[in-house]
Amino acid sequence: MPLLLVRNKGLRSQGPAATRGHPDRASGGDVDRRPRVGTPRVGTRYEGRSLTKSFDGATVLSQVDITFAPGEVHSVVGENGAGKSTLLKIMAGIYQPDSGQLVLGEERVGGLSPRSAQQLGVYLVPQEPALMQSLSVTENLFVGILRRGRLHFNVDWRSMKQEASAYLDRVGLDVDPEVRAEELSIAQQQLVECARALVHRCTVIYFDEPTSPLTAKEAGTLFEVMKNLRADGYTLGFISHRLDEVLAISDRVTVLRDGKRVSTALRSEVEGPSLVKAMVGRELTGRERVRPPFDATGRKEMLAVEDLTSEPSFAGVSFSVREGEVLGLAGLVGSGRTEIAETIFGLRPSDRGTVRLEGRRLEHRSPRACIDAGLVYLPEDRARHGIFADVEVERNVTAGVIPHLARYGPLVKPVAERDLAKQATDRTGVRMASLDTLIKALSGGNQQRAMLSRWLLAAPKVAIFDEPTRGVDVGAKDDIYHLVAQLAEGGLACVFISSELSELAITCDRVIAMYEGHVVGELSGAEVTDANLGSLIVGAHTI
Amino acid sequence: MTTLPTPAAAPASSGGPIALAGRFGDIVLGLLRRREVQLIVAILGLFAICSALHPQFGVPSNIAFILADSVTIMLVSVGQTIVVLGRGIDLSVSPILGIAAVSIGFPATASHLNIWLALLIALVIGVGLGIGNGVLVSVIGIPPIIATLATLTIYGGVQFIICGGYSVINVPAVYTNFGIATLLPGIPWLIVIGIGIVVLAYLFLTRTVTGRSVYAVGNNAEAAFRAGIPVRRILFTTYVICGLLAGLAGFIYLCQIGSATSTSGSDGNTNLYSIAAALIGGTTLIGGRGGPIGSALGAVFLSEALQAMISFRVNELWDPAGVGVLILIAVVADRQGSPVRHVLRRPFRQPAEVAK
Repeated sequence: MPLLLVRNKGLRSQGPAATRGHPDRASGGDVDRRPRVGTPRVGTRYEGRSLTKSFDGATVLSQVDITFAPGEVHSVVGENGAGKSTLLKIMAGIYQPDSGQLVLGEERVGGLSPRSAQQLGVYLVPQEPALMQSLSVTENLFVGILRRGRLHFNVDWRSMKQEASAYLDRVGLDVDPEVRAEELSIAQQQLVECARALVHRCTVIYFDEPTSPLTAKEAGTLFEVMKNLRADGYTLGFISHRLDEVLAISDRVTVLRDGKRVSTALRSEVEGPSLVKAMVGRELTGRERVRPPFDATGRKEMLAVEDLTSEPSFAGVSFSVREGEVLGLAGLVGSGRTEIAETIFGLRPSDRGTVRLEGRRLEHRSPRACIDAGLVYLPEDRARHGIFADVEVERNVTAGVIPHLARYGPLVKPVAERDLAKQATDRTGVRMASLDTLIKALSGGNQQRAMLSRWLLAAPKVAIFDEPTRGVDVGAKDDIYHLVAQLAEGGLACVFISSELSELAITCDRVIAMYEGHVVGELSGAEVTDANLGSLIVGAHTI
Repeated sequence: MTTLPTPAAAPASSGGPIALAGRFGDIVLGLLRRREVQLIVAILGLFAICSALHPQFGVPSNIAFILADSVTIMLVSVGQTIVVLGRGIDLSVSPILGIAAVSIGFPATASHLNIWLALLIALVIGVGLGIGNGVLVSVIGIPPIIATLATLTIYGGVQFIICGGYSVINVPAVYTNFGIATLLPGIPWLIVIGIGIVVLAYLFLTRTVTGRSVYAVGNNAEAAFRAGIPVRRILFTTYVICGLLAGLAGFIYLCQIGSATSTSGSDGNTNLYSIAAALIGGTTLIGGRGGPIGSALGAVFLSEALQAMISFRVNELWDPAGVGVLILIAVVADRQGSPVRHVLRRPFRQPAEVAK
């Protein structure tokens, strides 16, 4: 508590201006591993040495070395699952590395928590702003270090508000510090997060995909702020999926692939195409396509989407899928893939456009109407939108077809239901103690198999699989690919949404690529490769 | 040698690495993990202790009293359970019970209303008031706790207006005889009705399309909607059924007590006890888990515990406090839903997640 007070007094006397060009006080010779309070300074180099991290046995980050230098924007790029976010979260104390060291300035720091990292001057601006919505901007800025007034137990609002205005100016945000956070747009909240980093006197600031919820113009504002901070000698780290942004703002670029560092280079040494290649050009894993080439002749068009639009997520999307075909939908998170699927399935309204199933137009779409018409949607977020966690596997599996179960009068026949559930789970290979097991006790892969079983029971003609292999182990992934192939072989028209380019390449007959809500390309047959897809979805056409 | 088999004791003894021989042991352990079995053990255990300590506790008439006394709470609690399974709550069950009781009580005493007609009226009133709750929650979309808090006071006010300062007294014997009739010594007719309703509720929840969907909606409404379940209609139905059962409970209340006032239902802590019985029976307030059999046993256990307090001359002012303690024991004993365990296990750091 006394430490905190001393720190606050110091901050009050200096004000925001003092954070500019703060003299770099060389640290003493002895290595103090305890996080210390009140020492952040501008111009600090922050280094991660052979950082390794695994979750549940899966290695996410392996022996990564990276140095963030003052006065530089250092971008980390890579595919989904390459370990970018994990790396920044380790640097910011949110995760603990399994092995490796963090060196701030000349000192080794260890055992960081988000709080101690902030005290050392390291701040992570999250992808989605995490402000307390019903508190004022001032309170959000000073949360954790509320200034005490003269009476010692009261809050000194006046000085905080003044200072808040100064910090908000610094990030180019013209809002009243007394308004509540919820009244700000996402972009403004993002900037408040930046200002919070400054208020906490952080000088190493990381941005984890800050632009994905922002429009291009809003992102431009954020980049101006980043450039100003860079000019003042701050140490900045940046993640983005949008290569054009990376190339525009970065001074240095590190490429991660499958948890390993592939390269680090100055911006002047890299070009768009070479980055794409470094990102997606993993060694060919020797994986074959899971199904033979698709022959469209004589195959009926099952799902036809025309000019479907739901602003601001996506606009003018048209595609069709034939009987027995697997159509991939590639795109980054936020490119509009899931939104398209949800609009087709009647979960969100469309502004215009039509959806036809076997030539018949589906109007007033709702999940029930779509299921009854023969269209099912396996959601991306299994835990929130798919399973009934505390319910038995059997009832999870039959949930989509309860009204159609065999009955005696009003009562469902339990034996018939069990048979049905058993057939469906056998077909997808759910491994479980029994059908009475609660589904939450199953592994991710088996939960997903159970979800697939649910939709098989509905006897669909068209199925949309949204990230069907998310959060499942490698073996289950393979099974899911083969299951999709087998279903397509049986005549099911499939839409396969995925962030993993390699799985699109081995399962899909044709892939359309989305970028920022628009279809930017279509590949079919032998053209469907990791590399081709990779350059489409990162918007390489815009570079 | 008797130990007190509280619900808390059973899972603790079954959770440890006790090597019990063979399949039989597994079956027993599996049964002991079920809340219904734990409650039966608790009911019998409490009965054994009280009978041993008090000569009058184990006589058939006392057993009949305990069972009959539990029926009103049992019915209301089963209705409450159905609502709670859908992740709702109905705080207005006590005035629904009260309105049903006074609405048939006045014509019954004044003009000897036919008892079957009275039953029908009570059910219709229950359904009507339940529809009111259902509309507020599922059509207008008001959070259940707020909607039913409002109807609690509205319906309570209506009950006052119906009474207009009078009370129902001297209910005709045809009603009160129904309230005390026994099938066998120690087995009142009312408990037969109670059991019948519990069985129907069980079949409804496990074997009908609507009932099955209640669990799905309570567990994950968004996933239920995506699975094609008509979420609003299901929620609406749960409130109507809850109202119906509260109306039936009002009829039985009148038969049992032989009188009704402007505060009937509310003065007997019906709201608290119906929720308590459901909680003791293993239904969790976050929805999707539990069932009517546990709630019915919970109601019997409550009734027995309250009767035990009377037998041992504990002032009845202590009743609600005693019920509160039982709720705490039941919730802490719930291995999966225990908030205590949840807090204890919650990691300080953000849980490790698979990196994007």
